[in-house]
Parts: sequence; C-alpha cells; structure tokens
Amino acid sequence: MTGRPAGRPLVPAYLSTGGVARPSRPHMERLTVLALTGEPLRQGPPQGSPEGLPAAGLALLEALEGGSLAVVEAAALLRLPVSAVRVLAADLEDRRLVLARPPIPPAGRFDPDLLKRVADGLRALKHD
Amino acid sequence: MIELPDLVAGGLAVGTLSALALGGGLLRARRQRARAHAEIAALRTRLDGTVRAFTAEVEHLAAQRVPAAARQVAHRHLDVPGPLQPLTVGTPLGIALENVLLALQSEVLSQRTRVDAAAQAGMRGATREIQAALYRLQDALRVLQQRYDDPELAQTLFRLDHENEQSLRRAQVTAVVCGAWVGLAREESHVVDAVTGGQARLAGYQRVRVHNHLEPGTALVSHAVEPVAIIVAELLDNALRHSSPDTDVVVGLEHVHHGVCVTIDDAGLGMTHDERERAQRLVAGDEPILLTALGDPPRMGLAAIGRLTRQFDLGVDVSSASPYGGVRAVLRVDSHLLSKVDPEERPPAASTPRTTRRPAPERTAPSPTYGTENPVAEPAGHHGSRDADGLPQRRRRSRVAVPEDSAAVRPARRPEEAAAALGALQSGTAAARSGADEPATGQVAGDGTDQTDQTDHAEGGAAR
Repeated sequence: MTGRPAGRPLVPAYLSTGGVARPSRPHMERLTVLALTGEPLRQGPPQGSPEGLPAAGLALLEALEGGSLAVVEAAALLRLPVSAVRVLAADLEDRRLVLARPPIPPAGRFDPDLLKRVADGLRALKHD
Repeated sequence: MIELPDLVAGGLAVGTLSALALGGGLLRARRQRARAHAEIAALRTRLDGTVRAFTAEVEHLAAQRVPAAARQVAHRHLDVPGPLQPLTVGTPLGIALENVLLALQSEVLSQRTRVDAAAQAGMRGATREIQAALYRLQDALRVLQQRYDDPELAQTLFRLDHENEQSLRRAQVTAVVCGAWVGLAREESHVVDAVTGGQARLAGYQRVRVHNHLEPGTALVSHAVEPVAIIVAELLDNALRHSSPDTDVVVGLEHVHHGVCVTIDDAGLGMTHDERERAQRLVAGDEPILLTALGDPPRMGLAAIGRLTRQFDLGVDVSSASPYGGVRAVLRVDSHLLSKVDPEERPPAASTPRTTRRPAPERTAPSPTYGTENPVAEPAGHHGSRDADGLPQRRRRSRVAVPEDSAAVRPARRPEEAAAALGALQSGTAAARSGADEPATGQVAGDGTDQTDQTDHAEGGAAR
C-alpha cells in the first residue's frame, strides 16, 4: 500500500454517502465479499456521473475492477470508514452493479459431548 | 453821557456774542452726544445680534453638527449639516468651527479603531481556543467512525462530525476576520480535495454539484489549501443561503491562463447593485475590517474572504450575474499557488468527483463493460495496478463516459491536434501510394520474378 503522510483529511467521511450511514440492505457485514456483476454502466445526464452514482460509489466500482474485495478491504483502499462503504455497496447492489456474498461462517466446532458419546460407544463395542 | 451807553452797548454786545457762542457750543455738544448715543445703541444691538448668532451657531454645532460628524466616521454616506448662517463659512469663526469637527472626527476614528482592535484581539483569543478544541473533537469523532460500524451509531457519528465541521467553520471564519492565522497547516493537496472539503463544512452540502475539469494531480501548495477551502466554503454558503432549497449550486473547476478558476453559480435571487458593490468591496480586502461595521449579527463571510485574498494573493470576483439567474462567484488561484501531486501515489479523496479530462497519453479505449475480466484487453490494467505487496490498487478513473458516446464527451480536439492527425493520414496514404507505384514501375521495367518473391514474402510474414 502506498502510505499517505499522516494529516487531517480534508474531506470528511459523511460526504461520501451524503450523510447516510444506514445501508439499504441489512446483511452487509465487514467480511461480506463484493464483486462486480459485469452490468454495463448507463451514461447519466451530460456532465453527470453514470447512473447518477455518487463519486465514492464510482470509486468503489473502480476498486472492484481489480477483483473481489471484502467490505473492510474496500474501506481501507478508499480510506473510508466501514459504515460508509456498507452504504455504498448496498446502493450498488440495489443497482445490480455489485454482487455481495455473505462471509463463510467459521466451521462449527466439534461438540465434545457427541465425541465423548461416540468414544463411549466404540469402547462399549470393543469390550463386547 | 455818551460813554455809558457805549459801554453798556459794548458790554451787551459782548454778552450777546458770548451767549450766542455758548449757546452754539451747547447745541453742538448736545447734538454730538445724541449722535454718540445713537451710535452706541446701534453698536449694542449689533453686538447683541452677533452674540446671539454666535450662541446659536455653537448650539447648532453641539446639537446637530457634532453628532452628525461623529456618525459620519462610521457611516460615510451621512451628511454633516453646515453652519446656521451660510455667511460664516470662510470667516475665522467658520474655520474655527470646522476645525472643531475635524479634530472630533479624527479622535473618534482613532478611538474606534483602538476599541475595535481590542475587541478583535479578544475574539481572536477566544476563537483560537474554540477552534483547537473542535479539532480535537473532530479527531475523536473520526477515530470513533473508524472503530464502530453499527449503522445507528455511525449515523450519529456522521451527524456529529457534520455539526462539528460547521461549528469549526464559524470559529475559523471569526478568527480569520479578527486577523488570526487560518489555524491549520495542511500538506499539498488536490484542488478538488480543498473544494470538496469546503463543501463538506456547510449545511445543505448535498445541493452542491462539483464538476471537475482539472488535469489529474492539480494541487495547491500547502499554505494555500486551507484558505481556498475557507473561501470556497464561504462562497458556497452565500450561494446556498440565497437560493431556493430545491435548486442546485454548481461548482466548476477549470484551468485558465494563469492558474485555476473555481466558479460557483447559484440559481437564487441575485444581488442588487448596491449589495454587489458592497460585496465586491469586501472581498477585495482593500479596506481595514472593523467588527462594528459588519452589522448585527455580524456578516463575517465576505470579510473573511477579503482578509484571505489579501493575505494569500488569491482573487475573488462576485460582480457578475450567474446564467442561472443568481450570483456567479469566481475564485482565481494563480499558478504560483499551484503544484502537482502524483494522482497514482496520492489519489484525491474517494468522495471527490473524478475529473472529466482523460489522462491523454496511455490508455486508449476503455473496456466495454465493468468487470468482464478480459485479460487480453487490458493486461497491464490488472497486473500493473498491483503494488509490490501484491495488494490490488485502485486505479485512477479514465472513463466517466461509457464507450458508445465516448467521442461526444471527449474534450474537443485542439486545432493543432486535428491538423496533425489529418496531416499524418495524408502523408501516410501518400507514402503508401508511392510505395505501391514504385514496384509497379519496376515490374514494367521487366523484373517480375523479384516482385512476386517480395509479395510472397509479405504474405508469408502476415501468415506467420
């Protein structure tokens, strides 16, 4: 990563979403993986951004051009808080420009009780 | 006998003569006295008149002219009434009275400046503390924003951050009007960052549309960043305040001959002639600023702009009308305040609008769609954009337009470029024609086999 010299950022985070921090879809998590759907962008009004996307939304699309990213990764790349990226990603998902895949849950731990019962059963079989 | 009557007659004659003489003298004296009396009476009435006139003049001075002269120090357009007797003008009395007024005015002016300077110093001290405290609050809020991403909490943090930005702007502007430093040292930053940063400090910033037509990497030298952000914020604030809430305020960033212009157009009511003149005078920053002259509540914005334009050699013009009907404000940043920042190494903030200019040399046609992973079309795009650490890197945007009408959005070619392209085409076709002609004449000369060999080779090369 190229480092930016530490300094007070000029542009506050709320500007990226227009002050909105509640995503339109509740399921976006920190580890949700975002990928482009491959839908083409429709051109907006002249001089405007395509589809009237906010600038930060375009920046997120650009970041995803290099491949899929988790929400936290995209936040780090764009130097935005995770909450803002969630709003942007949910908006892009609503426009069918981005696919969001929920994080893979960690594998369930073995239940020690079950293991104990299996072991007991095996021992009982052996003794028989 | 005769002597006696003679004597008597002589004596009588002398007596009569002297009596006559005496009588005459008496008469004359009485007449003189009467004349003197009359003269004295006339003089006395004149004197009375003069004293009365003088008293009236001084009373007029105290009651009318002195207050008016004192008021005139603050409000130049007020008139000071003249003396009661127009004839006194030019007389020693008149000149003495005028001198009273002049001495009074100069003393009032110096007192006014002194009091105002003291008030400014007090305000400066207070706002500096407030500003520092608000910066600390801003830091704390941003740390919280990074740490917590619960939507409800984030919403609150965003709102608090915005409120804080607005308070910060007020404190900063007040400090600047009172002659303080802008209060924050920044590093070299993109012009669009400074403009968007200024935009973020306002209530109603969502109504601002920024169109960025600058070369990527156009930046401000470090000491100009904060002043430009403040000026843009104040101009935008005026624009937002004086236009209806359902209209947009349009900001354009463009290169001009001597630097960069930030144009701010609103679709509001516009200003009257007097307002415009006053605003232009304030933003020019030529006159010293007095807090008492800013009105109640004090209108600090334009005064702060005036201070900054003077200090940092920036140019602001508010004298023209906007094509949208409101006011057009133009901030000019001359080239000595501009620098370059590598947009790949230090990209502008994610929420700033992309430039409509395309980076000219590399990167010709954009790939037709987003996300069609097409390594043949742009191999350099994916691999080249990865850092040494192998992390993907955000690339600068080259395509605000989609391909089908990219030609329409592409900035118009300069005449020289068009001429060069046409010239190249022409010379190319001419060269091809002459190349085709030469072997043809060679064939006519009789060396046919060689020619066919050549074409065979050419075809083979193409096939291989």
